[in-house]
Amino acid sequence: MSLFTILISALLVNNFVLVRFLGICPFMGVSKEVDSAIGMGLATTFVMVVTAAATWLIQWFILEPLGLPFLQNMAFILVIAAMVQLVELFLHKTSPALYRAMGIFLPLITTNCAILGFAIMGVQNSYSFIETVIFGLGAGLGFTLALVLMAGIREDLRFADIPKPLRGVGIAFILAGLLSLAFGGFAGLV
Amino acid sequence: MVLWKDLIRGLWAENPTFRLNIGLCPVLAVTTSAINGVSMGVATTFVLVCSSALISLLKRIIPDKVRIPAYIIVIATFVTIVDLVMHAYLPDLHSVLGLFIPLIVVNCIVLGRAEAFAAKNSVVRSAVDGLGMGLGFTWALTLLGSIREILGAGSFFGHALVAEGTTTLGIMSLPPGAFITLGILMAVMNMVSARQKRKVS
Amino acid sequence: MNESLRMVVVLAVIAMVSAGILSVVYGTTSVIIEENAARALESSVYDVLPQATKVDIIRRSADELGVDDPKEMREQEQRTTLIYQGINDQDQVIGYAFVGEANGYGGVVRILVGVDEATDEILNIKVLAHTETPGLGSRIEDESFRSRFVGKTVEDPIAVNQDIDNLSGATISARAVADAVRQGFVDTAAVYRGGE
Repeated sequence: MSLFTILISALLVNNFVLVRFLGICPFMGVSKEVDSAIGMGLATTFVMVVTAAATWLIQWFILEPLGLPFLQNMAFILVIAAMVQLVELFLHKTSPALYRAMGIFLPLITTNCAILGFAIMGVQNSYSFIETVIFGLGAGLGFTLALVLMAGIREDLRFADIPKPLRGVGIAFILAGLLSLAFGGFAGLV
Repeated sequence: MVLWKDLIRGLWAENPTFRLNIGLCPVLAVTTSAINGVSMGVATTFVLVCSSALISLLKRIIPDKVRIPAYIIVIATFVTIVDLVMHAYLPDLHSVLGLFIPLIVVNCIVLGRAEAFAAKNSVVRSAVDGLGMGLGFTWALTLLGSIREILGAGSFFGHALVAEGTTTLGIMSLPPGAFITLGILMAVMNMVSARQKRKVS
Repeated sequence: MNESLRMVVVLAVIAMVSAGILSVVYGTTSVIIEENAARALESSVYDVLPQATKVDIIRRSADELGVDDPKEMREQEQRTTLIYQGINDQDQVIGYAFVGEANGYGGVVRILVGVDEATDEILNIKVLAHTETPGLGSRIEDESFRSRFVGKTVEDPIAVNQDIDNLSGATISARAVADAVRQGFVDTAAVYRGGE
């Protein structure tokens, strides 16, 4: 598969949130305002690209040569937690402005299943180093796209007259369903 | 009495799916059929009960500052055991649930119960709490899976309900069907609990 | 005990105990997992070669290439085709089975094809894996579609709208199956006909 195909596939055709159902919790939780959606999306994308590199190295230079594939899950989740900490420290030191914008989202990213999910998928697909990084970039941008689209709709929804039981998560899921239907149109692109 | 309350809390009042809205990824992803929903629920329940019990047992030994990594290691161990055992003895089911078995590690329910309940309560109560939460998660998955299987594939637990060749609502088996069904179910659950509250007051 | 030393010791002990337990579980389950995977593909081979009573692998590419690195081996395995030989109860080779792959609407479509030894005609095909749309593309699994490939030889075009009737509403899925069958057929026929 070419790098471009991997990118488009992760971004649109097999969108992580709307088609693969990964990262639903932050998708529902942080999609009330466009600004915070962009912040969360970019922070997640950043962590994804960094973990892509880290998990690839761990898988092919530690776990496989030592014959420890059964420790994959544990190693990856600990690496992701550590990476989130590192990114937080790094941003804090180098770019206080960026840290203020993304900081509050960073601790939430560890338990975002999109990150662990994409790391495991990257291994299952036997992607090379570059492919894994591009896959992470596509997955992160796809997550951001879904989050921002959803936030845009939900901002407008504040003025709509929604039946009482549907308010909150109910209507959000139906909206996500319609978005997912729209993304279904990308199927067959690659 | 206390144990009974711990058990039923997860089934309705604090149902992880419908009331707390956590751990939703597998709820949407694996519920294309009722049997998938049940299996995913049982796998998650096993992890919840074991990790809650063990974390409660270790709560005095684990230093406060490193409790989260320690919990994650305990949870990841049980998840990997479930993953390997299912792969060996239930290969068909394992291939359907696929990625979402290892992802139980990051299911907010498991870490959430460890942090909020098991770290503060006795071993027995923690295990019962895990069981209650797991069963609450399981019935939510089974309900969603049943609805989607009946409408999308025209069958229930694999038994065909309609004649072969009948056009079914294929969209229910696809991602949009999952989102829309869950959205409507959330609204129904809200209506039921609103009615309950009105009765009480 | 020193506070930070205690943290390190506790974490290390937990991690070691868990790694120990997992390696035991892995040791017992990995054997079964491998057996299952081999048996699953073998039983599919019996589906496409109904007369066979025994199945042999006649060419395992990764072994032949002598690749040791597991990652490289996995890549090689994905690129090359395994060929199975169906043998009847009189120890005669009655047919070959191979896997073909092509891109469909939702992702890769994997097809197992059984070919008769004597006539070189397709006996049956089986869809091993696909992610096509349920209700539309998923009809490639139906007997009525799969039977359209029976009797084709490597000389036939094996293409949708030529000698294979289209599946209405699922052209891309049908084309993927035809591509997978033709490509696998062309790649492997040379191998098992040429030199064994």
